[in-house]
Amino acid sequence: MSKAAFPVNDLLRRKLQTSLTVATLTLSVASTLFLLLFSRRIGWEITSVGNTLTYGLSTVFSQFMLFIGVLIFTVGAVITSFIVFLMMKQRTRDFGLIKAAGCPNGLVFGYFMTELFMITFLGCVLGVALGFVADFAVNSIFPFQAYQQMADLWLAPLIFAVFSGLAFVFGAKPMLDAARLSPIKALSHVQYYGLTTGNKFKPLSRFGLTLRIASRSLFRRQSASVRIVILLSIVFVMLTVAISGGVIANDTSRAWIENAVGTDVVVIAHKSMRNQYIQLLTKFAGAKEKTDFNYLDADLVVSDMLLQQLISMPEIEIIDARLIMKAHVQEVSNFTIDPETLTTLPVGDNREGESLIVGVDPQNIISSWSIKGRFLSATKTDEAIIGDSISQMMFSPDPHEGITLSDPLVQGIKLQNGSFSIVGVCVDPINNGKVTYVSIEKLQNLTGVSIANIALVKLDPSAERPSILAQIINEVTKVNSDFSVFELNGVLQENLDFLGAAWSTVMLLPLFTLTSAVLCLIGYTLLAVDEQRQEFAILRAIGTKSETVIVILGLQSVILLLSSFAIGISLGVIITLMILMPQPIVTSFTVVEIAAWLFAALAGMFFLSLWPAVKIAKKSISQIMS
Amino acid sequence: MVIEMSELVVAAHSLNKVYHLGDVKVEVLKNVRLEVTRGEFVAICGPSGSGKTTLLNLISGIDSPTSGKIIVLSEDLTIQDEDFLADFRCNHVGFVFQSYNLVSTLTVAENVAFPMEWSRKSEEEVETHVAELLETLDLQHRENHFPAQLSGGEQQRVAFARALANDPELVLADEPTGNLDAKNGQKIARMLRMLKANGKTVMVATHDPEVMQLADWTACLDDGRLARQSE
Repeated sequence: MSKAAFPVNDLLRRKLQTSLTVATLTLSVASTLFLLLFSRRIGWEITSVGNTLTYGLSTVFSQFMLFIGVLIFTVGAVITSFIVFLMMKQRTRDFGLIKAAGCPNGLVFGYFMTELFMITFLGCVLGVALGFVADFAVNSIFPFQAYQQMADLWLAPLIFAVFSGLAFVFGAKPMLDAARLSPIKALSHVQYYGLTTGNKFKPLSRFGLTLRIASRSLFRRQSASVRIVILLSIVFVMLTVAISGGVIANDTSRAWIENAVGTDVVVIAHKSMRNQYIQLLTKFAGAKEKTDFNYLDADLVVSDMLLQQLISMPEIEIIDARLIMKAHVQEVSNFTIDPETLTTLPVGDNREGESLIVGVDPQNIISSWSIKGRFLSATKTDEAIIGDSISQMMFSPDPHEGITLSDPLVQGIKLQNGSFSIVGVCVDPINNGKVTYVSIEKLQNLTGVSIANIALVKLDPSAERPSILAQIINEVTKVNSDFSVFELNGVLQENLDFLGAAWSTVMLLPLFTLTSAVLCLIGYTLLAVDEQRQEFAILRAIGTKSETVIVILGLQSVILLLSSFAIGISLGVIITLMILMPQPIVTSFTVVEIAAWLFAALAGMFFLSLWPAVKIAKKSISQIMS
Repeated sequence: MVIEMSELVVAAHSLNKVYHLGDVKVEVLKNVRLEVTRGEFVAICGPSGSGKTTLLNLISGIDSPTSGKIIVLSEDLTIQDEDFLADFRCNHVGFVFQSYNLVSTLTVAENVAFPMEWSRKSEEEVETHVAELLETLDLQHRENHFPAQLSGGEQQRVAFARALANDPELVLADEPTGNLDAKNGQKIARMLRMLKANGKTVMVATHDPEVMQLADWTACLDDGRLARQSE
């Protein structure tokens, strides 16, 4: 037989194991590459390339993606090392056999290293291809189309090199260990799997006996068992972060948007203003507003008469009359005293930018934003709340510009000739968070425009909606036929759907890794079947039923999965709540939802891992023995 | 001679077993007919590959025939499902394999106790009977050792103890002395003699003259065909 023929034939002879190893390696490489490509499109650079999402939401996304990215890369590396370790570990006995037959050490080592090379090359090439295909497919259907860029081709050789290197290092180790053993030791099952020590005999129940066989077998395969527990633990950390982080972040960010836009809100404005307002709100999901819109056009004025008529309607809870306009704003710097040197240090600079300015009456406002800081005071008119994107653009430290200290809450913002001290930073989807809220009274003074150009009306949720809407429409059209009444729930839903789609896509990322982990677990069960094959045949020959084999292998999976689950969940929950999400909204439904997803994943992994067990249980005793 | 059905422990009629190895058809047993009555000690001889192990596997229900009928202890094994056969083996048949086939993850005592625990014997019964068997077979000092820590002779004695654990009516042994030295072979032969003295029905596939001497009669297999040789 030629030197190349042996490895090829050996791999083909073990079709199931070979294909499982290649598939796992492929998925592992593909998921890591896909994550890097995908996140470069939407994730880590989301704020620099994008025009959607506010800065606060982008930060949550970015942190989430970064953490998942690190975990996926770690799991990818562990999976790769585990699967090649498993494959080569199972060759230890073959190594001994060939050596016992007189084949020189170097030649046997060469055979198995050739196998390792073939598997690694095939898995990595297929993985890189699948990674690009997945990225292309997701990019074609994902709503973040605004960010489409060319895929980074340089990532392919990088991932290929890293994963091939890992596969070689971890795959070669069992072979190097086997090369150092004498043939007799390499052939021995004791050397191969290790040996446990017995306890004093005590009769057990059927289940107790089955559990004893299962647990002792796990200990006998100590090195493989420890590796699979580490791997599954990291997978469960990732799953917990992805699922609980995703669900909590989704719920929390939805609440932020819901509170900022308001539910059961009706917009009353001139038709063109209404359209502009909707565009500003849905800019969050990729819409573009009219840039040359004249917010101070006399036609847009919401008359006092109309407002008075609306106030008289009992089904209306709040009338939030606003003056909206776009304006040039400037950062107002401040000073602080260094507690150590007692010198004054500048905070911020005088950076400039464009902002949507919204004048509101602090006592009649429908929004209840998630605010860092506090809400506008009813008595002080020189306060402002800025959106998180303005805060990031104009009030964050910028070492390139020599701005080492910057904090919006100790600084101010200048608008035309008026200065406002910033009391809060809010998450608001309008104009993608590039918004400044000030007192309408002060804004009217500054601009000399003593009107409101939009009214947001909050309806009593218990009121009969169609009839009250009909009444409002009637009143509004009586005053001005160019005015319209528009329910914001649809716009709100559009934003929430966009956010939901973004989270769903991000939460799909761990699926690749989860699939790889399932394949690894199946690989481990195959190792168990391989090692315990003779034992299963004996058990059945002396009178146990075929289900016993499934129970033994199932118990091993349960032990591995539950120990990894416990470690993974604990770490995952801590990471999610402490690092990823500030002020998370966790309701009892959220907890149930997260638990349901995690247990579904656990159950899915468990049942899939039983496949090799079911397969061997179906075989007759003589088939297993042969 | 007319034999009462209740006295017949094993009855095989027109037994055929064919294996297909790729395109090659291997006829291991050809039209085998065999009757063994209660308390008989039967030796099965024949060259390697003649079908001795296959015949014992069929009688124990480990394997099923391609055609023909096997009735063991009044049960037609050819029509029973896997679960019935598993219970049947556990409670009525003791099998000693040529290569011992002990469960490597269980200690000596656990290996012996295993069939009893599986047939739901009480804890006290299991504990007492395991101790008795280990003492009889001079294995009590090996109680908590694993099979890999035993010699071949010791492993074979454990295999015997396990086969006898449920006090089966039929004991099948596949070349029990085949892998042992003369001294250990003699120990196994003594054990078989003891079984015969206790009135057990025993079928042993063997080449060992000492074991063959114990047989009431010998059945010889040659190229899959069985011939009754001596009484």
